[in-house]
Amino acid sequence: MSQSTLATGFNQESFDAFIALRDEPSWLTDLRNSAWKRYCSLPMPSQRDEEWMRTDIRLLHLDRFSLPVETDDVTLPTAVLREGVTLSGMLAMKDSRVIAAELDEQAGAQGVLFGNLETMVREHADLLRPHLLSRAVDPLQDKFSALHAAFWTGGTLLYVPRGVVLENPLCTLTALSEGQVDLGHTLVVLEEGAEATLLSESHSMPDCESGFHCGAVEMLLAPESRFRYVNLQEWGRGVWHFSHQKALLDRDASLQWTIGALGSRLSKVNQHVALVGEGADAQVNGIMFSEGRQHLCYHTLQHHEAPSCHSDLLYKSALQDDSRIVWRGMIKVDPLGQKTNGYQRNDNLILDSSARADSIPGLEIEADDVRCTHGATSGRVDDEMIYYCQTRGLTREEAIRLIVSGFFQQVSDRIPLENVRTALGDAIGRRIREYE
Amino acid sequence: MAHTMNAFFPVARLSDIPDPGKEVVECDEQLVVLFHVDGKVYCLDDVCTHDGGPLGDGTLDGCAIICPRHGAQFDIRTGEAIKMPATQATRKHEVRVDGDQIFVKLAQRRQGR
Repeated sequence: MSQSTLATGFNQESFDAFIALRDEPSWLTDLRNSAWKRYCSLPMPSQRDEEWMRTDIRLLHLDRFSLPVETDDVTLPTAVLREGVTLSGMLAMKDSRVIAAELDEQAGAQGVLFGNLETMVREHADLLRPHLLSRAVDPLQDKFSALHAAFWTGGTLLYVPRGVVLENPLCTLTALSEGQVDLGHTLVVLEEGAEATLLSESHSMPDCESGFHCGAVEMLLAPESRFRYVNLQEWGRGVWHFSHQKALLDRDASLQWTIGALGSRLSKVNQHVALVGEGADAQVNGIMFSEGRQHLCYHTLQHHEAPSCHSDLLYKSALQDDSRIVWRGMIKVDPLGQKTNGYQRNDNLILDSSARADSIPGLEIEADDVRCTHGATSGRVDDEMIYYCQTRGLTREEAIRLIVSGFFQQVSDRIPLENVRTALGDAIGRRIREYE
Repeated sequence: MAHTMNAFFPVARLSDIPDPGKEVVECDEQLVVLFHVDGKVYCLDDVCTHDGGPLGDGTLDGCAIICPRHGAQFDIRTGEAIKMPATQATRKHEVRVDGDQIFVKLAQRRQGR
C-alpha cells in the first residue's frame, strides 16, 4: 500500500501545493483563496469565546495532520445503515478520496446527480455554483468553516430535479485510516417537489483511533420537496470532529434529519435548520452516547424566518464514564415568523456520577403570535427500576441495557426507517456497561 | 493511545516557572497546571470542577488558585475546593523534581478507564 501526502499541517506551503493540484472552475479557486485568507486571519478558538467556553481544543495539534494525495488502499469498514436495504445509489469515501460511486440507471435517466462532488462541480459548474458554500454554510463563519472551505476534497453531491421522487434511499460511507484527514463536503439540492432519502455514516478503519474531520453538510430544499437525512458518526475514539451543517427549507418543504453521535474524541458540530419559506417543516432527531473521556458538543439552531413554519427537535443523550456532552439549542424567530410552532427538547441519562451533561436551551423571539416550547432534563437511572428488572430475572447489566434502550425509544419511534433504528440501537447496545 | 498510569512524564523545567508562578503543560494527552510556590511544585488538572473553566488562566493567591470564570478557589497542594461555586475537588497529580526537570504522574480517574 502506498500513500503520499502533501506537506504536513495546514499552512501556506500545503495550501499552495493543494491549489496547484486543483482542476476546478476559477470561482471555486477564488472561494478557496478567500477562505484560506480568513483562516489565517483568525486565532484558534479559545475557552474565552462564548461559543467554545465548554469545549477545550488546546490538545488539537493541527500541524500533525495533512491531506493524502494518493492512496491505493480501498478497503472499507462495514457499513451498518444499508443492511437489508435496496439502494438507489451508494458512495464510498476514504481519507478524503471518493473510491466508489454508483447510481441506479433509472435515477440517472431522470436527471438525478449523485456522486463525487469534487468531480461533479467541474462537470456541472453552472448548476452548482449558486448553491455550493453560498446559501447555507458560511465558509467564513469561523476558523473551522474557513479551513474546510479552503481544503474540502471529495465529498458527496445529491441533486434531484423537479418532481423526481426517489423511492429507495442513497447511501454514503466515509472511512478514516489511522491519523488521516477527512474534509468531505456534502451538498444536497432538491428542486421543487423532489423527494429523496440519504443515509450517511462515518467510521474509522478497524483498530484505527486517531484522525481529523473538518466537514460541512448543506441541504437546499426547494418548495414542496421532501428529504430524509440520517447521519451516523462513529469515528474512532481519537478523532477530532468538526462540522458545520445547515439545511435551508423553502415553502412547504419538509425535512427529517436524524443524527447519531457515538464516536470521536471530541466533536464540535453546528447544526442549523433555516425555515425560509412559509409552511416549511423540520423534524430533527438526535441520539448521542458518550463514554470514556469523549466530549461531544452540539449547537443546534432552528431559525424561523418565514411564517407558519414548524420545527421539532428532540435530542437524547446517554453518558458513561468521564464523558461530557454539551448541547446548546436555540429557537430563533424573526419578526416575519408569525404563527411559528417551534419545539426543542434535550434529555440526558447520566450513567456514571463522573459524567457531565450541559443542556442550554434558548429562545429568541421577535414575533408576537408564536408557540415555542423548550425543555431539558438530566438524571440518573432509577435504582428502583433496576431492582424491579432484577426481580424479573434480569442481571444488572441487562436491566441497565433495557432501561437505556427504553430511554431512547421516544426518539427511535420518530425514525421511520427500520434499518436505521436497528443500527442505532445495536451501536448503543454494544457500548452499555454495567455500572454502580 | 495507551495510557501508562504508573509512569512519571517529564513535563517542564523548574527554571522556566517563576516562584511564585504557574504553567499549563501537556502530560500524556491531558492538560495540567504546574504551580511553583515557596520552592515546591504542585500539579492539578487544568479544570475547575464548577463549570470547566481553565484554572491555568486564573490568579495564584498564595496556595490558592482562583478560577477566572466565576471565582472558585482550589488549594493547589490538595486540589480541594476551598471556595464556591466549586464544591468538588479537582484532580491532584504526583510531582517529582529531579534537578531542573519536573516529572508528573497522572492520578487515576477510574479503575480501568
